[in-house]
Amino acid sequence: MADHSTPNAAGAQTPDLTARQIRRMKRFDNPWRNPKLIWGAGLLLGIVAMGILGRIFWDPDLVFTGSGLTRQPPVGLENLRGQVGTWAHPLGTDGAGRDVLALLIIGAPNSLFVGVLASLIGMSIGIFLGFSAGFIRGRVDDVIRVLSDVMITIPPLLILVVFQAAYGDISLTMMAILIACFVWQSPTRLIRAQVLSMRESGYVQMARLSGASTMHIMFREMMPNLVPYLFGSFIANVTTSIVTAVGLEVLGLGPQRIPTLGRTIYEAINSGALIQNLYWWWGIPTILLALMFIGLLLINLGLDEVSNPRLRKL
Amino acid sequence: MKPTTRLLLSSAAMALALTGMAPAQEVAREDTVIFDLDRTIRDPENFNWFTSGTKRQHGAHQAMWEPLFILNYETGEMDPWLATAMEPNEDFSEWTLSLREGVEWSDGEAFNADDVVFTVGMVLENEELSEREAATMRAQVATVEKIDDLTVRFTLNSPNPRFHVENFGVRIFGSFLIMPEHVWAGEDPATFAFYPPIGTGPYSYSSADTNRAIWDRNDNWWGAATGFMDLPEPARLIWLETGGEESRAQLMLANQMDIAHSVSIGTFEAIQAQNPNVISWHDGYPFAWPDPCARQLEINTTVAPWDDPAMRRAVGLIIDRTQIVNIAYEGTTVPSSTMFAEYGSMRPFIGAVVAAGHGLPATGDAEAAQALIEAAGYTMGSDGIYERDGEDLAVSIHVNSASTEYTRTIDMVVEQLNRAGINARSVPVENGVFWGEVLPFGAFEMSYSWLSCGSVNEPWTSMSRYTTASVVPVGERSPGFNNTARWDGDAAAAYTAIVDEMGTMALDDPALPGMVAEAYGHLAGELPFIPLVQAAKLIPMNTTYWTGWPTAENNYNHPAFWWNHTHQIIHNLERAE
Repeated sequence: MADHSTPNAAGAQTPDLTARQIRRMKRFDNPWRNPKLIWGAGLLLGIVAMGILGRIFWDPDLVFTGSGLTRQPPVGLENLRGQVGTWAHPLGTDGAGRDVLALLIIGAPNSLFVGVLASLIGMSIGIFLGFSAGFIRGRVDDVIRVLSDVMITIPPLLILVVFQAAYGDISLTMMAILIACFVWQSPTRLIRAQVLSMRESGYVQMARLSGASTMHIMFREMMPNLVPYLFGSFIANVTTSIVTAVGLEVLGLGPQRIPTLGRTIYEAINSGALIQNLYWWWGIPTILLALMFIGLLLINLGLDEVSNPRLRKL
Repeated sequence: MKPTTRLLLSSAAMALALTGMAPAQEVAREDTVIFDLDRTIRDPENFNWFTSGTKRQHGAHQAMWEPLFILNYETGEMDPWLATAMEPNEDFSEWTLSLREGVEWSDGEAFNADDVVFTVGMVLENEELSEREAATMRAQVATVEKIDDLTVRFTLNSPNPRFHVENFGVRIFGSFLIMPEHVWAGEDPATFAFYPPIGTGPYSYSSADTNRAIWDRNDNWWGAATGFMDLPEPARLIWLETGGEESRAQLMLANQMDIAHSVSIGTFEAIQAQNPNVISWHDGYPFAWPDPCARQLEINTTVAPWDDPAMRRAVGLIIDRTQIVNIAYEGTTVPSSTMFAEYGSMRPFIGAVVAAGHGLPATGDAEAAQALIEAAGYTMGSDGIYERDGEDLAVSIHVNSASTEYTRTIDMVVEQLNRAGINARSVPVENGVFWGEVLPFGAFEMSYSWLSCGSVNEPWTSMSRYTTASVVPVGERSPGFNNTARWDGDAAAAYTAIVDEMGTMALDDPALPGMVAEAYGHLAGELPFIPLVQAAKLIPMNTTYWTGWPTAENNYNHPAFWWNHTHQIIHNLERAE
């Protein structure tokens, strides 16, 4: 781990810092207590908590077609017909009588789940291939490098649209696996580059001299040094995966009966929600997606600061 | 293609169609009528309507090809068009057709008995000509002969009192269209593309692409020359693919579309609130025109476990029609009580079926259904889905994604089945794929459809569509979309025997309602398809540029502008002042 005593020393040498700045600097004692990281994680945990608590305090079966009257507005608001929203559906209903609150409770964690799972799979592949290519080199490196270079030029959405259109209704997990096929290349390339520069360093040479196995060197000696970096890459991948998944869902592909935020937006667009001024139907899922992406971005920025002290601002 | 993609494409096409790409000469917007098209034109340079594909409803049979007669839904009469009369002999086994004098093809050749005899003869000899109208003609006609230039005699295989309305009257969607002998002679009718096409109508083909077709007025139209009718006012007609409800609505608001396919009532109210020039069949609630094609759930009776009539009856019991009406139609239609369209003229037959105890309930009975499923050896699993031998009771339901009406109905059915313990899922497919690949070849377990459609004032046409004569194996094309459920067996044979006998009887035979009820008993016991709800088409019509649209007050005919009778609508349009 990096040496964190610098800010303390620097603070002592520059006495004209305000009390607030000093307080902020002390926070860097522990780089993980980064405000961006905390805010970002908070937003995502909030969405997960909504999914868990929502299932306890709200009826998740309301996500299905025909659970209530159609096109009811949120509480306190009025729709085009002059109907006023009720507490039976606090965030209103969509054009098929699904409860929007229940759609969020079930749909938002689903969207996050696809992103996290796809990214986990993609990262695992990426880590394995990246380390192998960088450390073993030779033929293995050639094959992996060419493969990832080729894959990186293929636009994933295009392939996925064709694939899903052919297979129709698929499960969330299947969708995550499909997306994972397109998010392993960047981590592979980046990790390979890092490993290439790291493999000549002293502790790796030492481990090699002391007879450690390739696997041991790769995953026990080198990987811990890449953890913040891997985290950053992972979060970026989650974002990409969610964007891809939502892109598919908004086109009407992906799971049919399992609610996701993207599918809700697709249904809204497809059923004339814009012209009918049913803004809660497409607006609320959009806001939630925005929050999810902001959360991921903040985490990513925070992780950058954790792994690169020079980025930390006072 | 999904509606969203289509929306993007069609707006791009819209821009092109209305600006730069307009061929030949510019036509002002106020001289143009823009119609909605709910599907992609897969092969825009093929006008062989006898084979499957989008070859008629993109303007070809609304503007270019004219029917012999048009059944007027409001008066019940056959309005003569290219023909003047069609008379049967005493036992309805021979029909004599009289053609109108002075009809010409757009290239100046005379339209006469030779064209009729040639076209019918071609269909009789070529099994590959698979469209419904061609298949019906082949099944009914033994010989066709020319008496003189304007008279043709048809000799039928068996007496048929409905021969004229069934084949030449635009009763449902299309009619048997006569093709020009001087163009088709010597061509292979199964592969001939008939491009560029010609017709007798007041509009000629101008250009077409996968998402639009353009037709320009032929000022030398025979009808104006002979005094049959004045030239229609619109100088140009455009059929434009729109995709989803939102794009239809936006085009209506922007006055960039004059008539659109059915929208949900909420969307219609929103359009009307922002553009008061947009009207529909009725002035007020429920706005919609009752379409004669009642909606149903088609079941492939060759696929296990749905080859078991008890399982099909279970599905029939689960379905709650009232909920479908409330959610998918928001109250603009009613639950079906039989397979028939609930028109006044159908009442005696519907009444007989209901009196015999075969009427359908408006709500579901999941408990009775579950008893049937359990009797078939299924047990309820912990996930609320029935299983047998470790396999879930599951079903995929195909639905065309062209309209929210269709997808939402199936969403509701899927929900009801899931709640009752059947793991159902909907499979939305593009309209062209749905009609071209899924339905006719039996490539489905269950499917949304309206294929018992046909009867408007007599029961036989709808019932004849599920006889055993039309049964083909899965993978082969169902003739004319008849019996796509592939319903066969003893009950189907008994049903077919009664329906065949009905086919030769006069329309007002007093024995008919009783026979309908008896045949219907076999159908209700085996349920090769499950009637859902009556169809209601809420068609927005824009009076900004054009008036004279068909409405309940101005009811010269109905507003289904994708049908062959649209000639009447076009002749009734007047430029708005």
